[in-house]
Formats: sequence, structure tokens, C-alpha cells
Amino acid sequence: MKKIATISIISIFLLSGVWWWTHSHQEKIDFNTQVRPILNKNCLACHGGVKQQSGLSFLFIEESFSPAKSGKTAIVPGNVRKSEMIHRITSDDPEIIMPPDKPPLSEKEIETLKLWVRQGAKFDSHWAYKSPKLESENASIDFFVERKLTEEGLSFSEKASRSTLLRRVSLDLTGLPPTYEEAQAFLTDQSDLAYEKLVDRLLQSPHFGEKWAAMWLDLARYADSQGYQKDLLRKEIWRYRDWLIHAFNNDLPFDQFTIEQLAGDLLEAPTDDQILATAFHRNTMTNDEGGTDDEEYRVAAVIDRVNTTFEVWQGTTIACVQCHSHPYDPIRHQEYYELYAYFNNTADADFSSDIPKTLLFSPPQRTHREQLQLELEEIGDSLSIEYQQKMKDFIAVQPGQVQIMKELPPDSSRVTRIFERGNWLAHGDTVFADTPDFLPASQYGRDRLGLAKWLVDGNNPLTSRVIVNRFWEQIFGNGIVYTLEDFGTQGRKPTHPKLLDYLAIKFQDDYQWSVKDLLKEIVMSQTYQQSSKITEEFYKKDRYNYLLARGPRYRLSAEAIRDQALTISGLLNRDVYGPSVMPPQPDGVWNVIRHVGSWQTDQGGDQHRRGIYTFWRRVSPYPSMMTFDVPSREVCVSRRIRTNTPLQAMVTLNDPVFVEAAEHLAVRMREEGGEKIEDQINYGYFLALMKEPDEIKHHELVDLYHKTNGSMELVANVILNLDEVIMMH
Amino acid sequence: MTLKEEYNQRIHSSMKRRAFLRSTSLGLGGIALSGLLTGFKVNPYLPKAKRVIFLHMAGAPSQLELFDYKPALQELDGKPCPDSLLKGKRFAFIQGVPDMLGPQFSFSRHGQTGTWVSELLPHFSKVVDDVCFLKAMHTDEFNHAPAQLFMHTGGPRLGRPAMGSWVTYGLGSLNQNLPGFVVLVSGESAPSGGKSLWGSGFLPSEYQGVELRSKGDPVLYVNNPEGVTRDLRKKTIDAINNINRQEYQEAGDPEILARIKQYELAFKMQMTVPEATDIDSEPEYIHKLYGTEPGKVSFANNCLLARRLAERDVRFIQLYHRGWDSHGSNEFESLHGGFLERVKEVDQAMSALVIDLKQRGLLEDTLVVWGGEFGRTPMQENRGGVSNKFKGRDHHGEAFTMWMTGAGIKTGMTYGETDEIGYAGVKDRIHIHDLQATILQQLGIDHEKLTYHFQGRDFRLTDVHGHVVKDIIT
Repeated sequence: MKKIATISIISIFLLSGVWWWTHSHQEKIDFNTQVRPILNKNCLACHGGVKQQSGLSFLFIEESFSPAKSGKTAIVPGNVRKSEMIHRITSDDPEIIMPPDKPPLSEKEIETLKLWVRQGAKFDSHWAYKSPKLESENASIDFFVERKLTEEGLSFSEKASRSTLLRRVSLDLTGLPPTYEEAQAFLTDQSDLAYEKLVDRLLQSPHFGEKWAAMWLDLARYADSQGYQKDLLRKEIWRYRDWLIHAFNNDLPFDQFTIEQLAGDLLEAPTDDQILATAFHRNTMTNDEGGTDDEEYRVAAVIDRVNTTFEVWQGTTIACVQCHSHPYDPIRHQEYYELYAYFNNTADADFSSDIPKTLLFSPPQRTHREQLQLELEEIGDSLSIEYQQKMKDFIAVQPGQVQIMKELPPDSSRVTRIFERGNWLAHGDTVFADTPDFLPASQYGRDRLGLAKWLVDGNNPLTSRVIVNRFWEQIFGNGIVYTLEDFGTQGRKPTHPKLLDYLAIKFQDDYQWSVKDLLKEIVMSQTYQQSSKITEEFYKKDRYNYLLARGPRYRLSAEAIRDQALTISGLLNRDVYGPSVMPPQPDGVWNVIRHVGSWQTDQGGDQHRRGIYTFWRRVSPYPSMMTFDVPSREVCVSRRIRTNTPLQAMVTLNDPVFVEAAEHLAVRMREEGGEKIEDQINYGYFLALMKEPDEIKHHELVDLYHKTNGSMELVANVILNLDEVIMMH
Repeated sequence: MTLKEEYNQRIHSSMKRRAFLRSTSLGLGGIALSGLLTGFKVNPYLPKAKRVIFLHMAGAPSQLELFDYKPALQELDGKPCPDSLLKGKRFAFIQGVPDMLGPQFSFSRHGQTGTWVSELLPHFSKVVDDVCFLKAMHTDEFNHAPAQLFMHTGGPRLGRPAMGSWVTYGLGSLNQNLPGFVVLVSGESAPSGGKSLWGSGFLPSEYQGVELRSKGDPVLYVNNPEGVTRDLRKKTIDAINNINRQEYQEAGDPEILARIKQYELAFKMQMTVPEATDIDSEPEYIHKLYGTEPGKVSFANNCLLARRLAERDVRFIQLYHRGWDSHGSNEFESLHGGFLERVKEVDQAMSALVIDLKQRGLLEDTLVVWGGEFGRTPMQENRGGVSNKFKGRDHHGEAFTMWMTGAGIKTGMTYGETDEIGYAGVKDRIHIHDLQATILQQLGIDHEKLTYHFQGRDFRLTDVHGHVVKDIIT
């Protein structure tokens, strides 16, 4: 008996010792990584943004610290016993236990919550809503990537071959592979600075802007038509696209780039270019179907502007807040309409003419015109042939009526009311323009200009991170935050948070929002220059290359696949800027809508312009590019989902554009590749990949040549269809 | 494969596939077309339908001239519309007080069921016992593009996946060598909603509907360029794949293996697509049954093609026939003009499709759905406040008729009822989301479970609505 008692006492002593040990040595509970996931998974469906049962929400901090409708308080910091939440999740009573009708929380989850309450129930805002912090002065991309690799027992891959690097960086910075001459120039340059010189040349190329505008056009939901039923054509809107290309080419600082697109019209004495930039938000759709209510579709356009602005600059998906408070992020229903109020005061109203419009030159048109004017003045003699010729050129540069943003005068401004459950006919309380509370308050005016300035104010924790992440994804195929469009609690966490912060700070502070500086740092890094070879170890440990132990590898974009085939074959028309063009597409594809427009295939070289200039009709985008995953541009799209289908093979094998490219490549191979068939074939392969094929590949191609009775066209067709050509690597 | 086998396979692989889809961007392309028959979140019930044929009458045919017989409306013909039908309502074109418009054609009873059908449908009158009429359909939208989008994507605006995309995303494809979601378009041009009606929205683009065209290449770029024979194509594809295999040895990327597979599939499709679309090869009695004329762009040809695709286990076959918008504003858009033409174009062919599917046993597991995006008003359309020159009706979302058959849908049945003049449903109304839920249910999918995470929330075809119409299911 005594023995048992002794054992009991010892046990109690031991147990409490264990208790003391575990609790005092327990690391501090971190709200974001340990508590928030439990709440999101188990509680927010009923106590979140949409439903706030019993008046309780865990999204808005103050609500869980004060008594709910029951009179009980969910969380009493430091006091587990008084916290109703703990009582509910640990109860045996089926009437009381939370969550109802679901498996109870695990022991571990309960312990975590208890400990968290005991430690004072400290809430912490989501990582993305806190300002980025610089970890170290000596940081670099490679520093952060390598540190993580070491943690995971990996290390950098070897450097990619010069040929691979040349092709990679050319496609990345300009969307085009190098020409034969450019390739030779780099491959024979043995200096240490050869690569940097190459990068600098590419950054200065006029094709740089074309590549990066292509990314922005998906975000701007740019198209050459209005959308909806009739999908009337917008034949002058290409000037906005040219504004974009021009802006990237001239490295317009990203803060200015933002302000001009969102509110160029509200700047003091805005230039024509700044007005033109506002066409960004006039890319919303216009519904010209008979019998539709213009106000309904004006509202739809304003809603689209709110959603697009927040997706593009804040990586925040707030479409759901149109109808109710955000289910997982702390954004209230009312706050959506406060943002709506910023955009609710423009003169456009779903008119089928797309007014208001302004007569504008594109920036390159304007410069060209000014140049011609100078030349005319220099010639002086207005009767000379030279003058007459120049005059013709001068007259040929015509402005167009482009739809732009225009604020209504103060005496006719609109009142903004909350739409109950998102229904535009059910008006609730009146609200005024304001930024949401989960982000730093705005110090600026309550108009679009103020909103734009607030976005690029150094205090906004999201903008720089979100934008840097977009550029990163274009280069590496994955974002540091995989969900480019969602930095909220439902989006993925950054794979390298410190790296993201480092780049965000560097972009906005050191580089003063220079996109070219940012891109240069990325492509100069060791991380970027690695070989993309996938070993078995990589595949097991990091199939999708989130850790970056190897170089990027992904399928090229629709535009790049087209542009590359035209470049390799020598067909590419390198003209920069200008109206949209119509390359060949099969008959009948555009037979979508009665009486509106027809596809008239361009001749004389315009059919060989880069993909970015292809006329983009929303109800029927260019079919071969659709097959390679371009969006229809009806709404903002941050990420194209890459697929791999047999229909893509049919495009690169049989589409007349690719057939013509193969034929021309064959001619080049014969004419420029030397005497011997073997050399000609190697030359064709070199044009595509900047290197000679290995022996096996070489034999396969030569074999095909002989098996097809000497068809160089089919050999060229094969080259343009190779995985290594279709892929970035 | 029987439905039961398919079901068992789905159950087994559903969890695997789900995990796979979430985690991978690699090799996804194979799934839709490779017949990896793997279910998504499956119903605890055995599916009844393996495939769907949806006959969409774009532009919205008048139910009052075809199926919804309203003698009382005849008595009101020409009289001003009562205020109660106008107050608080929104119409596309009607302004002020329009006149009522009686049924323009006579009706009689047909079949064992004695179903009232218009004189305009001599062929369809013979199959009334084989279908289920839904007389009290209703929708939220009363303009074409939004209403068509609503019908096919569950939302009135652009950007959501089509029903066929959802279905192939959820169930995969049954045929290795044909697309899982095929679209056939006839009539003067494509429907108002454009290609978004069969777009994959935020789902990967491999799930978008593939249009089989009546003229030119049936699938874009399926045919080799001039001078390239099948043998030469075989040699080029072999060369591509051999070099890609070598590249795989060097680069180690499994995506390369997926690409090799896609080129093999493309080569197969170059055979199977022309073969499947070759309606010429059908016997004479079949052409007579459908009223087909090979070489033309017609609804009849597309109905026959739909049957051939159903035989080849294409999962979702979507037909559009356009030109039903009978406002009365011109002859083409009037009940005695264009409307009559459209009825002639569809009557024989859609009846033939039901007969033909039935005689081949395909109706057992093929769900057929027919209807427009909304209905027409019992009032005559009067844009600008004046009655139109021709007889016609305005858009009307509150009541219209659809029919369904096959794959466990009760036949010889009329479900739902409208009021005396066919203005609104008074009994057993079915909303578009209910229809969608029911179609998915027959395919063995719980419409609340088939979701996709996009822009921060889980989307589904039926948004946050929809109830399965259990009364019409056997």
C-alpha cells in the first residue's frame, strides 16, 4: 500500500515535471503558421467574413475578444478556462462541441490553441500585409536561394552551356531567339564580360518592350474588340498597346507606369501619352447587345476595374467581397464599395461608341512625327521631291480616337452605395472612397490619382512584392509566391520569403522602380544561369523546382512559339509598333457574329509580325495561340496555365504559318548551310538552338532526309517541333 | 466498359487523381484525351449517363408555338397586356403596353400520353412518348449572350468554364483518340455568347470544347499540308519522338515523355477525326431518317454526327443551332418567317436522333437535352412602343419549355406547368442551376462537390445554388 502511494506520488511528481518541462520549453506559438491554419480550416466557414454566426468572427480581431451574442467571450487572452472557444472545442456534449457536424479538432490542434490563449492570444497580421524587411545588407538572390538549398541538402547545379544561356536569356528578355550573327558574336566573345554585354544589349533591344508588354496585356485584359454579343471591333486601341511597349522600352519607372495607367488624366497638365495610358482601364468590355441595360454593364465595368486593380497591384482577389465580406481575409463588404467609389466617377457608361474618346497619337507615332517635322524644316524647299516624299510620310501618321478615362465634373459625380449581396439593383448605405483597413491608410486624395499614389507609396506592403513576383515568374516559370494573383491567406506561402522581401525593397528603393535593373539582377544571378537538367534526385526532392537547384524549364508562351519559328526561318518582320495585324487563319473561324468585321489576312510582310501584334478578338482569339493557352482577355489573368495536348502538335506540324516557316527554314538551310546535306542540317539545328546536334540527333535528322526522298522541308518541320525548341530550358 | 465498371474505376482512382491534379502541372495534357478514366469526387450513386448530347437552340424558340399550348391566350389575342404582367418587370425590348399575341399555330394531341404538340412538328409528334417535357423552366437572364452563358457556364458573364469542360475535367475522357468535349455549330453563325460558351474559363485549356467544323479541317490543323502523306507524317513524327527520347536522356524532364505521347495521339487523331466525322459512310436509310445532306452545314448533319460521336464515347457533345430570335422586327426574325425555317431544320433531325439512339441502345446511357436560353413573351414585341410589322415575341426568362431523354430520365412525362397564358411557371418550376445539377447527377457527379479553386474561392458550375430534380429521374 505504502509502496503504491509512493509510486503514485512519484508519478504525480514526474507527470507534473513533464508538464512543467513541456510547457516552459514549448516555443512560442506563432499565430500565422500555427494558429491561423487551424482557424481557417475549422472555424472560418461559420465565423469568418461571410457568416458571422452568433456575431463571432475570427477574422476581425476585436470581435473574438468581446462577448458574442450568447454573452460569452470566445477568447480571453491568458485565460484558457474563461475562453468559450476552448470550452467548445473540448466539450463532450454534442450540442456544444465545435465544429458541429465535423470531426473534432485533434489533440495537437487543441493543445496549440490552448497554449496560444495561455500565451496571451496574440494575433498577428498575415505576412503579406506587413512591410517587407531587409535581412542583411550583403544579401543577394543567390544568398537566399543557396541558403535554402543547403537547408534541404541540395546545392546549385552547374552553369548552363553558353548556347543554352544565350537562347534562354534572349528569349527571356526579348521573347526572341538570337539571330545567327548575334549568336556567333556571343559564342566567339571569350571575354569575362561577354554575358553581361549580351544582357545589356538585350535590355536595350526595341524587342524588349514587346516581350514585357505581352505579360502586361493579359493583366490589362487588352483586346481589339468590345466583348459580349456583338463584340464590335476597337480599331484604335492598339495605341495603348504601343504605349506599353514604349514604356517598357524606355524603362518608365514602375511607380510612374502605375500612376499614368490608373490616373494619367488626373495629373496636372497631363501629356497626351499620360492620357493614352488610362486606356488601361478602358479595356473593360462594352455590351452592345440590343435590350441590355447600360447601367448594369457600366457597373460591371467598374467592378472589373476594382477587381483588376487589386489583382494586378495587390495580388488580392476581392471579387468575392462584391457580395459579402471576404471569407478568409480581413476585407469587409463595405470596404469593397469604398474602393468602388474611386472608380465610380468616370464618364464612360457602356456606350456602344466607347465614348469618352480622345484623338491621340501613339508615343512612337508622336516621336516619328516630330522627327519628320524636323526633317521637313531642314529640307525647307517645299517643292523638292524629297520634301514631297517626306510630306507624304508625315501625312500618313494619323491619330485615332482612343477611349480614355475621364472624370465626371464635381457637380455631376455619382453617389456610391453598397450593393446588397452584390446585386446592383439593391442599394444599401452610401459610402465614400477609401482604402481598406488591413493596409496602411492613404495619405492621398480620394480620387483615382490618390489611389494610384497609395499603391506605389513605399508603405504599401504588397505592391512591390506582387510586381517583383510577376517578373520572377516570367523568368523562372514559378513565382516565389506560386499564386501570383493571391497573396492572401488562401494563396500559397512564398518559397523564399526573405528573397521576396529583398527584391521588393531593392526594386522600389535601390532601383527606383526600374524594371530593367530588376531584370538585370535576376538574369545575372547564379541561380538563373544554372543548367536546367533534371536528375533523379531533383525529381524526387523538388519536382517543380520550387527550391531552384536547377535552371528554369517550361513550355514557351504562345507568342514566343510563333515568334521563334518566324525568327529561325528568317521570316520575322521586325517592325516595332503599329496597328494590329491579321496573319493567316483558317476560313470561317471568325464567322462568329453577324455583320461585324471580317478577317482579312495581311500581305506584304505584316503577316509575319510578332504575335503581340495579332488582332485579338475576344469571342474568337487567334486559334493557334488559343491552343497554346492564351486567355481570351475578357478579364484580368495573372497566370496562364500551361497544358500539353495533341492539338498543339497539330498547330506546329500543320498550321500554314508553321508550314511556311519550315519551308523558309529549308531554303535557308540549303542556301546558307554549306555544300553538304549534313552541314545544312546542322545549320538548321543551330539556327534553332545555337549549337550543333549531338550525334544521335544528327543521324536521326539525316536519316529522315534520306527516308523522305530529300525533303529538307520535313527536316525543318521536325526541327521546329522538337521538345528542346518548344521548351524554355 | 459498362457504367458499373466505369463507376468502380472512378471510385478507386478518385482520391489518387485529386491528389495528382492538385500537385501537378506536368503531363496534365494526357488526361482529357488519353482516357485515363479517373473520377473526381464521385456520387455515392451509380451514374446513369456516360455522355451528354445537348441541343441548344440559340436565340430562344417560342415555347408558345411549339409545346406550351395555351388556348386562353388565343382569346386575348390583340388585347392590351394587363398591367399586372408589366409592373416591376424588365423586358429586353417591350415598351409601354404591348398587345397580347395568341398562339400562331394549331396544336393537337399525340402519343399514348396525349401530349399537346404544335402542327409545326410532324416528326417530333411521333416521339413525344420517348421524352420528358420540362414546361416551367426559368432563368435569371433575358438577353442572349448572358442567358446562353448562364445556361452553359452557370454564370451570366464571361470567364467561367462550360458544362462540358466541367464534365471532362471531373470525369476524364472515354475515348483515347477523340476530344472529350466536342462542339458542333449550325445556323447562320455561331451563338451570341461566342466561343466562351465552350471555353474552359479558369480550368486548364485542354478542357475547352473542340469545335468540329463542317467545312475545311474538321479539327483545326488536323490535316497534313499538301504533299505530306500519312507515311511521310509517320516518318516525321517518328523522328521528332526519337530525338525527344534522346533529349529526355539528357535533360531528364518527364514533360518530354508527355510530349512524345501527345505527338503519338495527334497522329492517331489525324485518322480518327476524319473517320468519325465522315457521315458520307452512313447508309441511305439513315440519311433519310435524319434528312441529312453530306457536305452542307446543317443541324441534321450535326445530329447524325452527334450520334457517331456518341457511339465513339465522346463525353460531352454540344450542338448549337442559331437563328431563333423571333421578335417580329423583320421577316427573318418573325414567327411566320425565320422561325418556320428553323423549325423545319430541327424537327426531323432531332426526332431522328432520339429514334436512332434508341434503336442502337445508346439512349440507355446517353442523356439528350434540348432547349433555348430562355422563352418568349405571351405579348407581341413592340419596340419603340409600336407593334412590330411581323408577328413576334420578346425575350422571356420566366417560362420556357425544354425536353430531356435518355440515361435514366423518365419518359412519356410532362413536368411543370405554366399559367393560363404561359407567362410564368405555376408548378414544378426548374431553374437553370437545377437543370445543371440534374445533368451532373445523371453523370454521377454531385454538383456541390465538383469544384475548382480560383481567385481565392471554390467555384462550381451551379455557383451556390441548384437542386437535383428528383421527380424526373427513374
